[in-house]
Amino acid sequence: MSLQYLKDAVANNETDKLIRYVRLHLGDGNETAGRNEIDKAWIEALKLLLDVPTTDRAFIFKTLSEQDTATLAHLFFHLHFYFVQRSGEWIHDGQL
Amino acid sequence: MTANSNDTSQLRPGLWDTINERYPGVMITKDDFIPLAHLKKPLDQVRLAFISSAGVQPKGTMPFDVVHPVGDYSFRRVPTGAKVNDLEIHQIKYPTNGAARDLNVIFPIERLQELAAEGAIDALTPNFFSFIGYQMDPPTFERTLAEDIASAVIADGADAALLCPA
Repeated sequence: MSLQYLKDAVANNETDKLIRYVRLHLGDGNETAGRNEIDKAWIEALKLLLDVPTTDRAFIFKTLSEQDTATLAHLFFHLHFYFVQRSGEWIHDGQL
Repeated sequence: MTANSNDTSQLRPGLWDTINERYPGVMITKDDFIPLAHLKKPLDQVRLAFISSAGVQPKGTMPFDVVHPVGDYSFRRVPTGAKVNDLEIHQIKYPTNGAARDLNVIFPIERLQELAAEGAIDALTPNFFSFIGYQMDPPTFERTLAEDIASAVIADGADAALLCPA
C-alpha cells in the first residue's frame, strides 16, 4: 500500500486495512503467511520466558522511558524479525 | 520511467493489477515520461555508472533497513574497485541464493570491471550506487532517493548509467 493509503486508513480508523498491510509486509505479500509470522514471533518470545530467567528489566524500563516512540516502533519491527529468525523458520528470501 | 516516451504499454499488463491488489496505491502511473537520453560519444569513451536496487553494500556499512514498514530511502556507494568478498546483501524481498554464490548475477561488478579493463568502455565511475526496493511512498522515493542518486551519479562524472532492478 502507498503511504497515503495507510495514512487515510489511520485517519478513518480502518484497522482492517492496517493489519492487512502489516501481515502483507511481514509475509512478503502473503497475508496468511504474515499472520503466521506474527504468531511465530510471539511463540518464540514466549518460549524464552517459560523458565522465568532473570531479565534486565532496568534496561527495558530505561529504554521505554527514554527512547522516542518512533524508535520504539522501529524496534518493535526489528524484534519481530529477530524472533522469527531465531525460530529457525525463515520464510524470507534474503537476509536482514 | 520508461525507455521510450512513445511506448507506455506494459510487458505484463496483469502484473500491476496484482500488485495494486496486494499493495493498493503503491504502483504509480506517470504521464510525464522522460525521453531516453542518447549517448553523445562512442561507448569506448564512456564513463559508466551502475545503479542497482539489489541491496548490495560494502561490509561494515549500516545495513539497509529491510524491516521498516514504509521503506528505506537511503543509498550506498559501492566503490567500483571493490572485491566481491567486500560486499554483502541486506534485503529480504527477493531470492538471493544465486547472488550468494555469485554476486555478479545481480550486481555484475566483476563483469563491468572487465569491460573497463578491456577498453569496451572508457572507465567506471568511482562508485556504483545501491538501494533496496519495497518503498511504500513513491513520491518520497522520486523526490529524495532518486534525486540523491542522480546527483551522486553526476558528481561522479558519469556519461551513462546502467540501471538494474533486483
